[in-house]
Amino acid sequence: MKYFPKFVALAVSVTFPLIASAGQWEGPLNGIVDKVVKQGYESYSISAEALQKSSHEFCSSPSEKNLNLTQQAFKENALDWQQVQWLNFGPVTYFMRYYAFEYWPDKKGVTQRQLRALSQGDPSIMDAPKFWTSASIAVRGLTAIESLLYHPDFDPMNSANHCSLLERVTDHHLESAKAVAQQWQESKAQDWVFDEEGMGFDPEEVALEQFLQQWIEHMSAVKDAKLETPIGYNGRENLKLAEFYRSDLSLQTMQKNLKSYREIYHSGSPSLFDIAKQSNPVVADQLEQQLIENVKLSLQLPNNFFKSDMPQEEKIALAKPLVKSISSSQSYLSSLVTSLGFQIGFNSRDGD
Amino acid sequence: MLSRRAFLALGSAIATTPAWASLLPVGNHGAVYASAYSLNDKEHFFGLFDAQGALLWKAQLPERAHAPVVHPSNAIVGIVARRPGFYIDFFDMTSQQKITRLEPTKDHHFYGHALFTSDGKKLITQENHYPSGQGKTFIREWPSLKVLESYNSNGIGPHEAVFFNDEVLVIANGGQRTHPNNDRIVMNLETMQPNVTYMSLKDGSVLNSFTHDDPSHHQLSIRHLDVNPDGLVALAFQYQGEIWEPVPLVALSHINSNKMEYLTIPEPIRIRFKQYCGSACFDSSGKVLAISTPRGGLIAYWEVESKTFLGIKNCRDVCGLAPSDKAHEFILTSGTGHIIRHNPINNDAALLKKHEEKHWDNHLAQIIT
Repeated sequence: MKYFPKFVALAVSVTFPLIASAGQWEGPLNGIVDKVVKQGYESYSISAEALQKSSHEFCSSPSEKNLNLTQQAFKENALDWQQVQWLNFGPVTYFMRYYAFEYWPDKKGVTQRQLRALSQGDPSIMDAPKFWTSASIAVRGLTAIESLLYHPDFDPMNSANHCSLLERVTDHHLESAKAVAQQWQESKAQDWVFDEEGMGFDPEEVALEQFLQQWIEHMSAVKDAKLETPIGYNGRENLKLAEFYRSDLSLQTMQKNLKSYREIYHSGSPSLFDIAKQSNPVVADQLEQQLIENVKLSLQLPNNFFKSDMPQEEKIALAKPLVKSISSSQSYLSSLVTSLGFQIGFNSRDGD
Repeated sequence: MLSRRAFLALGSAIATTPAWASLLPVGNHGAVYASAYSLNDKEHFFGLFDAQGALLWKAQLPERAHAPVVHPSNAIVGIVARRPGFYIDFFDMTSQQKITRLEPTKDHHFYGHALFTSDGKKLITQENHYPSGQGKTFIREWPSLKVLESYNSNGIGPHEAVFFNDEVLVIANGGQRTHPNNDRIVMNLETMQPNVTYMSLKDGSVLNSFTHDDPSHHQLSIRHLDVNPDGLVALAFQYQGEIWEPVPLVALSHINSNKMEYLTIPEPIRIRFKQYCGSACFDSSGKVLAISTPRGGLIAYWEVESKTFLGIKNCRDVCGLAPSDKAHEFILTSGTGHIIRHNPINNDAALLKKHEEKHWDNHLAQIIT
């Protein structure tokens, strides 16, 4: 997924005195890792397994019922992904897993094209030992599975080739999800930061800093790519750019993301919220209220928000408060973390 | 352009400006380095630091800036506003005062980079004629700043340029059309065509120009470049397409060749670039190339003769690169305030200084004293 943060908030290196000691960031870092990331990937790999099993059952006994069950398993897995989608860090960055889990937005229809080619070829090539490690990311994860289950070009109910492809993609998808979950169970966040030898490097602080940067960037993705772009908030409407639009998950995925933000804020002892309340109580509360507001506003959007039967003007009017609220959340979060001494990116966020 | 009165005053001042070597309290420290930096989103500066990373001088700027421009003989240094840039401030290091501000002509803005000719008599800037989107190369007389020539850059979005020799300029036409009224929104994503152009400074004629061979790479913006003493030009790209696409990010070119030669990067490292190179820089021997990627938090190095990938140095938010006065050695600056010396051949690295409160901006320039 491509993130384009729109706002710029420069880092202000003001070190909060209470957090100057080593291990100061253990609370929020371990809390986020344990509660949001590890548990998130655990759930994700469990639902990926359910999806894989369901696919195999469907293909061995194709029926409307089994198709529906597989589609439901897909939806659960795609929603579990939303819990961890904000963090492109650590195990998921290896072998392009992050982009393979969800190849989106697929503006050029690469997934369909490559799935068609695969379904027309010799299926045994997909059983070769290194096939999936070198396969295109477009056919390795949820975007491909959604296409096989929902795109009119594919008919797994009546095509053995399409169903066989579905089985193989879900097999690989499960393997990747399990691998990431397992690697998180066996490691700490600090293990995944790149060592800057001799630079006064604190892996704990750097890991949390990267988490915070990714969280801020993900807010941009939700606002821009998930909400604004498909409805044509600043241009032409193109609902096909909405996330998982074929499976009608676009609204739910966004709601899930916004709910997960509060978990990030409150995980750990002390949590980021607890620390922020000590150092910057006003902004800490503003962020808390804004995150709640995001959830409320997203839940107010009607179920047909990403559907063509609602006029674009109406969508824009409905989206406006949420766009504003997410932008405010970004500002509060940036302000808060920079006041805590974190660098949220200067050249990396706004270079030329 | 300056008024006659201002010009006379400036000309008089500059005529007496001594050479770099006689200025600045650098002692035996060798080179001095120049870079813009910010303290926060409101306070922006231009600073010079010595080879130990100690700040020697600073001047406040109205807005965030991009790349320094150093006069080759007089102790004069300038800083170019970042795109869309509407000023270049010049400072006389004798008095340590600002001597003049250059603003672009009507309907133009700077792209963040400028350079003096080797005789110090002309200033060259890359500019955007934003009503048309035409890239421009302006040649102005120094110090009057009178426009002598204005050539088409042979493309859109001329970002950085370097001298191939005294008569030929190499321009990185990034390909992206923008308008200052629309922030940095790229108006021609679907049609952009970046190119490298070797331009004669005598008449603005194009001596050679080429883009990527693969048409699907038309969004691979050619942004930064450097040239070594052998005339080899290093090119650093920024890809405007999808983040997962396996595009090349670094290349070499030469005036006598009609194509770029992409440098290989091990895939796990290439992925870390996030399709974005920040600066390109040869070491003082011209044998080692460094490319920074602030989004990837690293500098990657190549031995250029054999095109061998040498490895990386991790450094968060790193972007500024300059050669030190030693072969194979570089000075690196980052948005986290670090100033680092690094030699990728013997892997000798030292943190020279961490300026906790400073965010060093995109580009770093070496001033030989």
